[in-house]
Amino acid sequence: MSDFDGPGLYIHVPFCTHICPYCDFSVLTGDRSWQTRYLQHLSLEIELLTESGWPELVREPPSEAFDTIYFGGGTPSMLPPGNLESILEAVRAKMHVRENAWLFLEANPEDVTLKAATTWRQMGFRTISLGVQSFAEDNLAFLGRQHSPRAARRGLDNALAAGFDTVAMDLIYGIPDQSPRAWQSDLDEALAAGPHHLSCYQLTVHPRTPFGFRQLRGEMMEMDNDDQAELFMLTHRHLAAGGMPGYEVSNFAAGPQHRSLHNQKYWSHSPYLGLGPSAHSFARGRRWWNPRKIKAWMAPLDAGRPPLESVEELGLESLVLESLMLGLRTYDGVDFDNLPGGLGPALWRDNRATIDELVKRGLATVDRSRLRPTLAGLAIADTVARSLDLGGLRNEPT
Amino acid sequence: MVADRGTPSVDSIRNFCIIAHIDHGKSTLADRLIQSCGAVEDREFRDQILDSMDIERERGITIKSNTVTLLYEAQDGNRYTLNLIDTPGHVDFSHEVRRSLMSCEGALLLVDASQGVEAQTVANLYLALEYDLELVPVINKIDLPSADIERAREEISEDLGLDPYEAVLCSAKQGIGIEDVLEAVVHKLPPPIGDPEAKLQALIFDAQYDPYRGVVMICRVKDGRLRPGQRIRLMHSDKEFEVEEVGQLQLRRVKTDELSAGAVGYVIAGIKTVRDIAIGDTITEARHPAEEPLPGYKEAKPVVFSSIYPMSTDDYEDLTTALDKLALNDAALTYEKDSSVALGFGFRCGFLGLLHLDVVQERLKREYGLSLILSAPSVRYEITLQSGEEIAVDNPTLYPDPSQIQSATEPYIKASIMMPERYIGVVMELCREKRGLNTTFNYLSVGRVELTSELPLAEVLFDFYDKLKTVTQGYGSFDYEMLDYRPTDLVKVDILVNGEPVDALSQLVHRDMSRARALRYCERLEETIPRQQFKIAIQGAIGGQIIARSTINAYRKDVTAKCYGGDITRKRKLLEKQREGKKRMKVVGAVEIPQSAFMAVLTSDTQK
Ligand SMILES: Nc1nc2c(ncn2[C@@H]2O[C@H](COP(=O)(O)OP(=O)(O)OP(=O)(O)O)[C@@H](O)[C@H]2O)c(=O)[nH]1
Ligand code: SF4
Ligand SMILES: [Mg+2]
Repeated sequence: MSDFDGPGLYIHVPFCTHICPYCDFSVLTGDRSWQTRYLQHLSLEIELLTESGWPELVREPPSEAFDTIYFGGGTPSMLPPGNLESILEAVRAKMHVRENAWLFLEANPEDVTLKAATTWRQMGFRTISLGVQSFAEDNLAFLGRQHSPRAARRGLDNALAAGFDTVAMDLIYGIPDQSPRAWQSDLDEALAAGPHHLSCYQLTVHPRTPFGFRQLRGEMMEMDNDDQAELFMLTHRHLAAGGMPGYEVSNFAAGPQHRSLHNQKYWSHSPYLGLGPSAHSFARGRRWWNPRKIKAWMAPLDAGRPPLESVEELGLESLVLESLMLGLRTYDGVDFDNLPGGLGPALWRDNRATIDELVKRGLATVDRSRLRPTLAGLAIADTVARSLDLGGLRNEPT
Repeated sequence: MVADRGTPSVDSIRNFCIIAHIDHGKSTLADRLIQSCGAVEDREFRDQILDSMDIERERGITIKSNTVTLLYEAQDGNRYTLNLIDTPGHVDFSHEVRRSLMSCEGALLLVDASQGVEAQTVANLYLALEYDLELVPVINKIDLPSADIERAREEISEDLGLDPYEAVLCSAKQGIGIEDVLEAVVHKLPPPIGDPEAKLQALIFDAQYDPYRGVVMICRVKDGRLRPGQRIRLMHSDKEFEVEEVGQLQLRRVKTDELSAGAVGYVIAGIKTVRDIAIGDTITEARHPAEEPLPGYKEAKPVVFSSIYPMSTDDYEDLTTALDKLALNDAALTYEKDSSVALGFGFRCGFLGLLHLDVVQERLKREYGLSLILSAPSVRYEITLQSGEEIAVDNPTLYPDPSQIQSATEPYIKASIMMPERYIGVVMELCREKRGLNTTFNYLSVGRVELTSELPLAEVLFDFYDKLKTVTQGYGSFDYEMLDYRPTDLVKVDILVNGEPVDALSQLVHRDMSRARALRYCERLEETIPRQQFKIAIQGAIGGQIIARSTINAYRKDVTAKCYGGDITRKRKLLEKQREGKKRMKVVGAVEIPQSAFMAVLTSDTQK
């Protein structure tokens, strides 16, 4: 995205007032004292960064300035604006952040009062993303969400009124027994609320969550594959018709300028730095991440060490696999000429037959060196990525 | 434990085995004899102590013959060395009985007082007579309320032609009459005939593999002496070794100075290569060899065939070694190299019956830790070609072009099914379904019937036990003996996945059964092959004619969980794992078939 191709910063705020039964993120329902400790440790983590604004383990830190800062969670909107402000100050003091960096905030719809929205807007936030999940009362109840459809609409109105560049919202579909008609009317409500960006996530049941246990006990059944496919197609077609075309399996924007600048960094191997529990970072062919548990994240900080859980050196094969896997989830697909290590052309040759087959089956189209999934191909992006043979590639560190 | 190191005189030795129908109490009687002779400490004792394999203990049946040497002080004040062999009762393991009989002079023929004489009682009697053994009938389980000693005596006289008043009465379970059994062994069974000073001749009738010592041969010395340090020659394989150790099997190996004429014991001679020895070979001394080997015995001919493949092709070597070792211990197992396009390299194995197959498969899994896929069991067909040539085919892949076949025959068995009267109708129906002929029944006692039917063995291999168990709610017992070969209308059914035949799933079946069988395979595959990017056609065919079909619709949606907060690694790892899984799948006609699909189609038909 031309103007914003520097590194991105992610800050994880691990608090929610209530934990959703499907959630497997790093969150807790911490009270104010937890928040205080979190904030203290976050500033410790920032202080531990080197001169360059990157941790020690990045030997040649990227020289460009950070141009996105994303507050995710959890529910960052739970933090009082003053706290958000001081985090930003600390970050700007320590790190090389571009003047007009794009700021993102994830928010619980109920927190989005006009007053709060205006404050955030003034602090420089340009995208606000509301965790609406559904406009149907019964779905919200099933998902264990505390807000009402009306509160969701009010939150959106306030966000729009406050004048954010992009007002985004999250929806969940593929709820057991959800009919196409019901989902379509949910989509219609969403469109009617007038956001600039939509993320529609298919309900995923993770192990060791309340939903996971329910499924184990046989009390809950995942939606049948054909039905899931139908809802997926419906989502993409209906939103495109409603002026909100997709650009990735779960993401839709009213115009290219509303696409998520920050998430696109994840998909394109741009460098990013994550702070807070469970946050992931990537630079120079390396990925590393913090412990998920808030205490495990705090303990090393108390001892003056960075809260590192793991570091992964990505070999060429892993990088290529990620590029394919992530690229094939986007409408733009994968440009083989731009694959890491210049391996694209050889890979294309090796997979000629598979690529022809994908085209023949209507799962992808070919545009010079670019393999672009069709909607049917996008629905099975993982399978398509899996079908490509990386056979000759070696997993040598880059 | 230290053995009585003196060499027993030939006269004080008794070599005998216990034979009977399945479950008549052989192993339990062996327990009592072992205990009476004080060969085991009480705290080490457990029921059916000779059934040492896990599968034997789990299923409560004996699979392998087992030898144990006991020292018995008889009422006449003399001390005897008793070499007892406990044998299996199930028909599939009658080769074990045969081998045991060859090293004995006598046998205890056990009859369950409540069941009376049964099929294997008679079959084992004939075997014993073939080897000219002295027999003592023993009526066991006299403690049972349903025991009918008089009837048992009558049957011993009429069905076995033995003197009913010779029969020793006992209850192995309650320990009644054990002394009488031991006295009968000593006084009614003859001592071996042999000359310790003659040239060495010893029959290898069993073997084990010890990871530290190599092959442990179990043998019966006919003439001469076997001693450590001796240079021996195996007369058939013409290989020479030096004896390291000899001794008796007293539940564990106990070293002795020698094994001389008449003795039964083990020999260790530093043999590491399993293939160097064969059961039935004769040991002689290298320097003064005997003129002739002892008569070996003909191994039972396998009747059930199946190809065994390792789940992972890397395990092929391990499977080879495992089969070599297992065959040492299970001489009836035959195996030769086989290969399949879908499953890679494996072995075509021959078994004496379904239980034998089941046991071998189980032992390979447990004792050698192998994961295996077995092709559907098949019988051996005899086929006459247009040219007049006769061939035997037990492997569908070797089935000749139908246009060249003049006629075919298949083996029949005589099945005997015992059950409560109320199941007669459903079981007769089952036999009819399975192409049974001359199905008849007679009453054994009030409410209990025995049904006999002449069934093609091929039909029994497929799904018969399962169905019998279901329709009789577990109350039907099944037994069979081989009958003869009869004409059949044979066809080869192929299973095609997207037009490509899956060779490992081809089968030879009677034309009347072909459609049902093909349909069943198609359905099982439909249930187990995961949906893929495209529609998959599964077909059953005879030659070019499609007789069954089913379809698997294309997979249309992945779970596209969000890549949260830059955690790409998790998603990639998942994908990598799936790619690994994909490598283990067999690809047929561009369709990835997981091994679980082969398993689903191929197993469970044979499981009882
Ligand atoms: N009541 C009673 N039960 C007995 C007696 N002898 C054996 N049994 C029982 O009969 C069953 C079979 O006994 P086994 O000794 O395993 O029979 P087996 O002849 O060795 O059987 P296979 O080796 O499988 O042929 C067991 O449940 C024994 O407890 C007896 O004298 N009285
Ligand atoms: S709001 Fe989001 S982060 Fe919080 S509990 Fe629910 S799913 Fe988890
Ligand atoms: Mg037994």
